Amino acid sequence: MTDSDLSPYVEWIAREARRPVELDAGARDRIMAAVRAERIPRRSFVRRAGNTFHRFVEPRAFTLSPAWSTLLAAGLVGVGVFSGAVMTNRDGRPTAGQPPVAAVSQLPVSDTFVKFSFVAPSAKEVYLVGDFNDWDLSRTPMAQSGGVWTVVVPMTAGRHQYSYVVDGKSWSNDPNAPSAPDDGFGHTNSVKIVGRGSSS
Amino acid sequence: MSDDAADVQRVLAGDVDAYAALVDRYYDRCARFAVRMLGNRDDAEDALQATFVRAYRALDRYQERDRFSAWLYRILVNQCRSVAARRAHRERVFVREEALLANAPDRSQGWTGEDEEFVQRVLNELDPLLREAFLLKYIEEMSYEEMSALTGVGVSALKMRAKRACDRLRERWERIKND
Repeated sequence: MTDSDLSPYVEWIAREARRPVELDAGARDRIMAAVRAERIPRRSFVRRAGNTFHRFVEPRAFTLSPAWSTLLAAGLVGVGVFSGAVMTNRDGRPTAGQPPVAAVSQLPVSDTFVKFSFVAPSAKEVYLVGDFNDWDLSRTPMAQSGGVWTVVVPMTAGRHQYSYVVDGKSWSNDPNAPSAPDDGFGHTNSVKIVGRGSSS
Repeated sequence: MSDDAADVQRVLAGDVDAYAALVDRYYDRCARFAVRMLGNRDDAEDALQATFVRAYRALDRYQERDRFSAWLYRILVNQCRSVAARRAHRERVFVREEALLANAPDRSQGWTGEDEEFVQRVLNELDPLLREAFLLKYIEEMSYEEMSALTGVGVSALKMRAKRACDRLRERWERIKND
């Protein structure tokens, strides 16, 4: 849709909204004052090394002739067969001494997964918003099954505030969770306490 | 190397004043989006300051193969979303209903403070996701691909949001005319 496709009224709104706006005269200076109060960012050695590494591993398109493709495929199959023969016993069991795959005893704190559920049978879309996703209205959509909207999110340990946004406009608290005190603007959020290593 | 990339390099070399050049280059555009998105200048200034400070802190993570403007806009859009989400239900607008009719397009001869209030109120009435798509498409005049890159939303969903925003505005105009 281009401007010429817009109704005259919508076109008028768009045209007027394109006019420059003026903020408080000191706003720009306050921004630079806030910037100057920050530490000067510097590209770290690790980051520079990472960028160099990235250039090497960046995906590149290339073409192979059918003959070379066949040879490459055969070579890869050969490598797979050889490594399988080396890594397993004759009966197919892994060679003794290999560590089990699930050797991690405890998940890192940031990998604590919490399941949120919200009953809203007539909703068309529900999003979870909270301090853990910067109250972003579009970052955490919930999936619906039988009128129940759910989503599992990784969270850090601590006290978190959250809310459900139904159909893009209606904010709802979780009826099964405690509410935080009024934020001073007549709105409260739900509270979730996440323990270290816990999951729900 | 673009002006933006050169300024970023100067900042990373320790020249903070180079960041002022970047702020000057993008301040007006970012301010316009923030005001139109958030509906008032105080919130817009908060979002704008947070955007430029966050961009500054993260400047060492900026990848030169990305356009600086697109990277900055991505931060701005997220900051506006955060401010809007925190302040949902709190916006109060003081334009009288009579002013809506007085400032309808076929009667408006020039740009006045009331016109701006009217336009802002109309934008405020849109759902935030529709408003965001409308502003990025028709005010910032981005392509859907650019919008998708900075919002993380698919092109078809963005087209639908922009269309629904236009439909809502048109419906609103029909209501005003028929009242």
